Amino acid sequence: MLTVEAIHTYYGKSHILHGVSLEVRPGEVVGLLGRNGVGKSTTLKTIMGLIHPTEGRIVFEGQPIARTAPHRLARLGIGYVPEDRRIFRLLTVMENLRTGLDRRGVTEERRNILLDKVYQSFPVLAERRYQAGGTLSGGEQQMLAIARAMMLEPKIILLDEPTEGLMPKMVAQIREIIGLLHRESVAILLVEQNVPLTLEVSDRIYIMEKGVVRHHAAAAALRSDDSVIHQYLGV
Amino acid sequence: MAEQLLIQLLIGLSSGMILALVASGLTLIFGIMDVVNFAHGELFMLGAYMGTTVLVTTGSFWLALLGASVAIALLGAALQITTLRPLVGRDPLTTILATFGISLVLQNYALWQYGPVARKIQEPITSQFQFFHIQFPWYRIVIAILSAAIIGALWLFLKYGKYGIWIRATTQDRIMASAMGIPVPLVHTAVFAIGSAMAAASGVLFGPLVGVNHAMGLDWILKAFIVVVVGGMGNLGGSILASLFVSLLEAFASLWVSPAQAVIVSFVVLILTLLFRPTGLFVPTPK
Repeated sequence: MLTVEAIHTYYGKSHILHGVSLEVRPGEVVGLLGRNGVGKSTTLKTIMGLIHPTEGRIVFEGQPIARTAPHRLARLGIGYVPEDRRIFRLLTVMENLRTGLDRRGVTEERRNILLDKVYQSFPVLAERRYQAGGTLSGGEQQMLAIARAMMLEPKIILLDEPTEGLMPKMVAQIREIIGLLHRESVAILLVEQNVPLTLEVSDRIYIMEKGVVRHHAAAAALRSDDSVIHQYLGV
Repeated sequence: MAEQLLIQLLIGLSSGMILALVASGLTLIFGIMDVVNFAHGELFMLGAYMGTTVLVTTGSFWLALLGASVAIALLGAALQITTLRPLVGRDPLTTILATFGISLVLQNYALWQYGPVARKIQEPITSQFQFFHIQFPWYRIVIAILSAAIIGALWLFLKYGKYGIWIRATTQDRIMASAMGIPVPLVHTAVFAIGSAMAAASGVLFGPLVGVNHAMGLDWILKAFIVVVVGGMGNLGGSILASLFVSLLEAFASLWVSPAQAVIVSFVVLILTLLFRPTGLFVPTPK
């Protein structure tokens, strides 16, 4: 469904990605692991069209998208939950969700179904729907960021460190929502520092080092043999 | 003395509302695109000229107001697409130069097209009312109310409209807005068009009071810039409050000094604001 082929990405003059390749199949949860600064977030940003790669191809459902504008990608069905959450702080929770809901072709009925679904998964968002996004706690903002992406009814969600800095209870909630999306056959490309969580929820794992993918394996294989994880992540 | 104060209060409030209309367009464009639009005064001026043309053709002031706003909105959209869109993401200095260039072109176009002699827009309402010892024109009250209505409509649109939410989301985080499927370049063009239409509307409304000429935008734009800075760049509510504040101060100051000297008050306010509270008077203290 999503294929990334040997992409090279620069931030100004620094060469961040040195030919990253990976693939996500429909409905699959794919974990992307690696130490800090190896280019995991940059990979997601490049897929989302926020930075354009200088070389390589990105193909989504048969269409080349390496030079496509982010708003078109969102409409094609790619949801993005950035590392720093990027809630619209002055917009209310409801308005944050509306940025994804107010699309062409969303009926009133469909809107309510989508809203009900996130309010069920994240009851706190229902309670706070008229509160400004900036007044939410870190964990609540993370939930809102995921809920907002879900409003687009994406086929794949790019999830960047969703559990970073969260309390264990919130981490459990994030794990649940990843499970829910998985059951609904939404594909997920998950970047995480939390290795046990990633191994648990993912089908396959890519491990990055210095701007390239070094290792690729089924999550089950890594769960039973942690030597590779040791080798690349030192944990 | 109390009478004098009330008269100046009315004058200050009515000019303040018109100024607020000019400043709203300017601050809206800055707030969302980080573009300081030096051509805003020329859009104001061209709006007034367009108003004279429609007025001569149709004889209706209200059609002139509407026609000029629509025409200048389209012109604004065309200018944004051709000149500003290619500069997105560049140094803000480039957009300053670009809009300054546009302002020179538009001003000289107006001089060439319409000539140096001022034209008159006939106000739709010429009656006056007795306010203490002076005759106060109803028209000034009408434009103050119309300005307030246009600003109010803009506010409602931004607050509740689907596209209003798009605009506010884009203002806060352009990149995340685009990742949520909001067509950011289109939002920028639309906002520039809305700001241009507001400039044109104020030009037509204000035309009857000053006469329409190619340089009429200069005074207004200068004042609008002052209140936009005093109110906090990009802050709509702040600009409106600052417009009323500065206009009232000027009105009251002219009790003691000549109106020409009273203009100095705006600059004093500007300098004090920049010295002691550079983020603007009417914004919460930044943390």
